[in-house]
Amino acid sequence: MTSDLTKLRNIGISAHIDSGKTTLTERILFYTDRIRAIHDVKGKDGVGATMDSMELERERGITIASAATHTEWNGYKINIIDTPGHVDFTIEVERSLRVLDGAVLVLCAVAGVQSQSITVDRQMRRYNVPRIAFVNKSDRSGANPFKVTADLCDKLKHNAVLMQIPIGLEADHQGVVDLVTMKALYFDGDNGETIREGAIPAELQAQAEEKREEMLEAVSMFSEELMEAVLEGDPTEEMIHTAVRTGTLSRDLTPVYIGSAYKNKGVQPLLNAIIRYLPDPTEVENEAMDLEKGEEAFPIEVDSDRPMISLAFKLEEGRFGQLTYVRIYQGSLNKGDTIYNTRTKKEVRVGRLVRMHAADMEDIDGAGAGDIVALFGVDCASGDTFTKNRLRVSMSSMHVPEPVIHLSIKVVDRKTEANVAKALARFTKEDPTFRTKVDEESSQTVISGMGELHLEVYVERMKREYGAVVETGQPQVAYREAISRRAEFNYTHKKQTGGSGQYGRIEGYIEPLETGEFEFLNEIRGGSIPQEYIPSVEKGFLSMMKKGKLIGFPVTGLRVALQDGQTHAVDSSDNAFQAAARGAFAETYHKAKPQILEPIMRVSVEGPNEFQGAFVKTVMQRRGLIVGTTEEEGFVRVDSDVPLAEMFGYSTDLRSASQGKAEYTMEFSRYAPVPGDASDDLIKKFNEDSKAKA
Amino acid sequence: MHRKEVNERSPMRVLEHSIHGGLGRGNIGVVVARPGLGKTAFLVGIAMDDLLRGRKVLHVSLEHSVEKVRDYYDDIYAEIAHKRELEDVWKVRVEMERNRRINCYPPERFSVDKLRESVEFMKEHGEFEPVAIVIDGWDFGAKTTEDIQRIRSIAEELKAEVWMSATTHREAKRNERGVPEPVAHLEGELDVILSMAHDGSSVHVGLHKDHDSDDVTDMQLALDPTTMLLVRKR
Repeated sequence: MTSDLTKLRNIGISAHIDSGKTTLTERILFYTDRIRAIHDVKGKDGVGATMDSMELERERGITIASAATHTEWNGYKINIIDTPGHVDFTIEVERSLRVLDGAVLVLCAVAGVQSQSITVDRQMRRYNVPRIAFVNKSDRSGANPFKVTADLCDKLKHNAVLMQIPIGLEADHQGVVDLVTMKALYFDGDNGETIREGAIPAELQAQAEEKREEMLEAVSMFSEELMEAVLEGDPTEEMIHTAVRTGTLSRDLTPVYIGSAYKNKGVQPLLNAIIRYLPDPTEVENEAMDLEKGEEAFPIEVDSDRPMISLAFKLEEGRFGQLTYVRIYQGSLNKGDTIYNTRTKKEVRVGRLVRMHAADMEDIDGAGAGDIVALFGVDCASGDTFTKNRLRVSMSSMHVPEPVIHLSIKVVDRKTEANVAKALARFTKEDPTFRTKVDEESSQTVISGMGELHLEVYVERMKREYGAVVETGQPQVAYREAISRRAEFNYTHKKQTGGSGQYGRIEGYIEPLETGEFEFLNEIRGGSIPQEYIPSVEKGFLSMMKKGKLIGFPVTGLRVALQDGQTHAVDSSDNAFQAAARGAFAETYHKAKPQILEPIMRVSVEGPNEFQGAFVKTVMQRRGLIVGTTEEEGFVRVDSDVPLAEMFGYSTDLRSASQGKAEYTMEFSRYAPVPGDASDDLIKKFNEDSKAKA
Repeated sequence: MHRKEVNERSPMRVLEHSIHGGLGRGNIGVVVARPGLGKTAFLVGIAMDDLLRGRKVLHVSLEHSVEKVRDYYDDIYAEIAHKRELEDVWKVRVEMERNRRINCYPPERFSVDKLRESVEFMKEHGEFEPVAIVIDGWDFGAKTTEDIQRIRSIAEELKAEVWMSATTHREAKRNERGVPEPVAHLEGELDVILSMAHDGSSVHVGLHKDHDSDDVTDMQLALDPTTMLLVRKR
């Protein structure tokens, strides 16, 4: 509890698919003595690496879900947060980036910096995460850590500096030369667990000296003391470490390490670098949002004596039951505490608090600020904030992006229906960008998310984890409708058919609302409509927003101002005013020039130079807009904005246009109006479909 | 406010007025300043002015990524839209984006030949012919009059204006017009030369060369440090 925070590291290991992230994580856990045997990711023994808890991940060789594993190295505590590697899982990636203080960027020594690394790096930059790099797979044919380091500088604009040079590459990869101590390191024993120091091999002496000089030159920018010592010719190891740390923490320097996790080379020096150069929790600034003051910044102090604030960043249904991973930002969290969920405004009791190790779980009594632990059996959603003393702050914004794509699903085997329901309930809790509902008209279950692949993975998970096979329909883009100009309304709802009648007149205007979905202004003066009916008017307008009148998609960005009206002593009622609002909306909507909005994706294609023309063509054919191009040595990247509706089947087209040599990333950018022709087509199709149904 | 009006009130018109009707097609202008004074923002401001008048712009950056450059445009656009209550914010933005291309190169991979190549590429593959080209981050130190002449011939063929930024430093030598190196030795080849310098609270924009005119009086223009927009000096 009163543990030394300077001896705690919360780190992520982030990488392009197939750079060997899982193997590296697994080796780290092996050397830190938490697991007994080494398994390979796609191993013959079928056990798989411990971090890859999900069946699906094992099959694909990628890691999708994040979890935190606790381990120790040389008296330091390390929480390893597993970050998902795919961009379609933006919110999951971003949430795990929030909770970590530093990261290891794993790069493949052969493939170097790929487009995926660029995306992941961009996200880390956004969250100001200090990084060290590990050039993995140095035993593979074609391995070139020097080129990868140059790539880091050119493509990712890092100030990357080699801290080691390899002793042999490809099949001949034996170890590394540490440029700080100027010693050769070899990794002996069956699993490379014994480190043998030796003299630098004669043939590498000159190169080692040259690279050490380069390293010292770059590093001494961060310490005057070191700069002077370098000039004098007597820099100490301690001085170098301090300077590298300063540069890394300010994110102006990326120290680069070399090895091959698979061949058990270079992992322990990387661990030393993690504890030496990456920040402890007190060195990272974090802010919460004050919910009492419109999400204004609320400063956090990494102090175990202050009121507790923590973020639930991951839910996991593991071998041990329902677990909620939380990062404690401020204060301390103890067994038996009553904590407050600031989203649901409910209090829950902490029954059990645990720390997850790679293979087992340890019950603990409490944990302090900066730490990462897991709670048992707490009902909450991913992204929820827990506090003590009912403190109304949140660690993440309450605004979650709306899904951009829908997919209808149908259970194949009726017996698995309950499992589907269970799976959907869980996924929606884990991932706020994943939604599910039952369509009122077709009574089909519809799932929604941030992209085709996002939904595909959940469909797969249903099959793998819940044994539920579903059939899917055609993916459907989540269009919106929005008005583009102000229009006035003056509408009277009147019904006089025996018995009590209905009467309500309302006057005002609707206009586009630039940020947000709906706003209702009550500008009634002098009580022309009694207070009790005003919510009825608002309710009436809101009910019309579920289905726009152009193509039946939800209306967004609407401001309604109610300015005047009239009531009838007997015939006015809640219902009458709701009906008046519905009538007013229907009458005014077209006057306000509604338009269809569609999700626009930021698409980035990368591949050999000679395909630049082909890339541009694939984008232009899809109503895409070229934003720009970046030329690198032999490579070109084309950045563009493309409507999601045009992106189906893109990977196939890109593959054939580039002989399989290109890759692309896609992430949601914004909603934008559908241009005239495409908009007319959508309206026509909607009208035809409606007619067919009727 | 409508887009046209926004444009008429732009301090960019003051700049144009000061340099006698603007840079002019086929001509080359340079803005020179020490690092960190906002050269990129200044160039984006010039490009934005063209974009808001429906003209096509090619932005070449040897310093920033596509994303970074785009952020510059987005910020400045948001600022203009907000400040002058632009109508049809969405539509104008999409139009503007259609008329803009951002090409980024590592400095060692960029050359005049490269520029020609990409201009031809855009013409062929995207039916895109810019009438304004901004080149940000080109190292003037090693450039010769011949390099500038070759850029001029591209500008003349396209009938485009070319604006470039140049970085200078504190101890740089200045010629009799007050133009610092590394631009001074190329002065004869350039049509307009502007400079940016700190004067206490803001960044002052000065005029050193205006085509063949001797009248290079103070334009009373500055770059607002928070919005990075060109403003009239009070």
